[in-house]
Amino acid sequence: MNGGTSPRQRLWLDPRTKILLLLLCILSAMMALSLYYELGLVVLIGLFGACCGKWKYAWKGAAFYGLIVLLTFWIMDTMTGTWRTMFITFLGLFHKVYPCGMLSGIVISTTKVSEFLSAMNRVHAPKNLVIPLAVMLRYIPTIQEDWRFIKDAMRLRDVSPSLKGLLTHPGMTVECIYVPLMMAASKAADELSIASITRGIENPKPRTCLVQIRMGPADAAAILCFGAFFAAGLYGKGVFG
Amino acid sequence: MSSQANSLKKGLTVKDLVTTGIFSAIFFVFTLIGGLPFAPNPVLTFYMPMGAALLCGPIYLLMVAKVQKRWSVTILGIIMGIIWFATGMHWAFSLGYIGMGIIADLVAGAGHYRNKAINLLSYMLISLGGIYTYVVFFIDPEGWASTMLDNGTEQSYIDTMSASAPSWLLAVIVVGTLVIAAFSGWIGGKMLKKQFEKAGITA
Repeated sequence: MNGGTSPRQRLWLDPRTKILLLLLCILSAMMALSLYYELGLVVLIGLFGACCGKWKYAWKGAAFYGLIVLLTFWIMDTMTGTWRTMFITFLGLFHKVYPCGMLSGIVISTTKVSEFLSAMNRVHAPKNLVIPLAVMLRYIPTIQEDWRFIKDAMRLRDVSPSLKGLLTHPGMTVECIYVPLMMAASKAADELSIASITRGIENPKPRTCLVQIRMGPADAAAILCFGAFFAAGLYGKGVFG
Repeated sequence: MSSQANSLKKGLTVKDLVTTGIFSAIFFVFTLIGGLPFAPNPVLTFYMPMGAALLCGPIYLLMVAKVQKRWSVTILGIIMGIIWFATGMHWAFSLGYIGMGIIADLVAGAGHYRNKAINLLSYMLISLGGIYTYVVFFIDPEGWASTMLDNGTEQSYIDTMSASAPSWLLAVIVVGTLVIAAFSGWIGGKMLKKQFEKAGITA
């Protein structure tokens, strides 16, 4: 049962499953024993992304991580002293963040807002938190779009939207970026809230959704994969360490 | 006048929730823009909270001015926590944002979300949410890099670590973040007065 919305038969997962996968991934990354283990995790995430139809993203993400791992080995071998410490501190952070960032990129880009809201409704998450979160995820691409328009408008008026402009006319540049962005945001807030009230977001009855939100065999398989990987890290110290 | 009636109504309306969501999105993006130049640089990574605090002041102040109700700032903090956690940031970073969000909400609420000085103070507090990763780092530097070092920690590593990250650096981070947040909030307050109050955007 694949939800039935995607034209091509891609892997379709319940949003709740995706959140669980994200949690497992964070846990795995937190207690990762070695770089090989982390590399395995990234490859697993890449496979997951490929199954969800994000071939390019998965491939690029895994390749980039491979390069970073090589760089890490090189630094561990050759560098000494303060520089080594600095790089180790930074790369330590990087290796922790990267797998989860990659997975959440996949999760966010493959989950529709309505699916997310229905699933959250199912687990009885507080509405006061879910609505802002859904709005936020929806609004981030809009900011990118707005930014492009603002840049064009600034060029039209001879205000340079570059770093040089920022340094020579800081007040003007800052105002020209913030004011339209925030004006647009507060207008969008008004319009979006009117739109969502019209569509019945305040309706106290349980929410319905065209896409059937349910856990299927695919969800079980995905959870099993990530769970097994986590367990392998937890118990198989001899193998990876 | 209309704002008077607004703040008397209990609870958050859908409009408040949507406003909070949109401003959280901008807050997140600007934190990212401010923080990213610092994060990939090993020398500057400690100053990341300052970069993050630099850009978000006007956004935070406008959000508070627009909603003017309890819980909005808390929701902002919780969303920041969730998003940073989902991107795999250190857990202390997320908990810091959630905790400081609640505290900032209480502080701003003490001035009924109207007092500009108190709103500024609450922005300074929420900016501190980013520093907790480094607090944890200073408490336990060995655990931090244990992924990188296969067999425990080398003595030379500990030595260079304590040399390059002396204990006063934490104080510098805290004070620096507060100062930069105050600066950003000050700019934001001026901008609010000059542009948004005239346009009637604030509630």
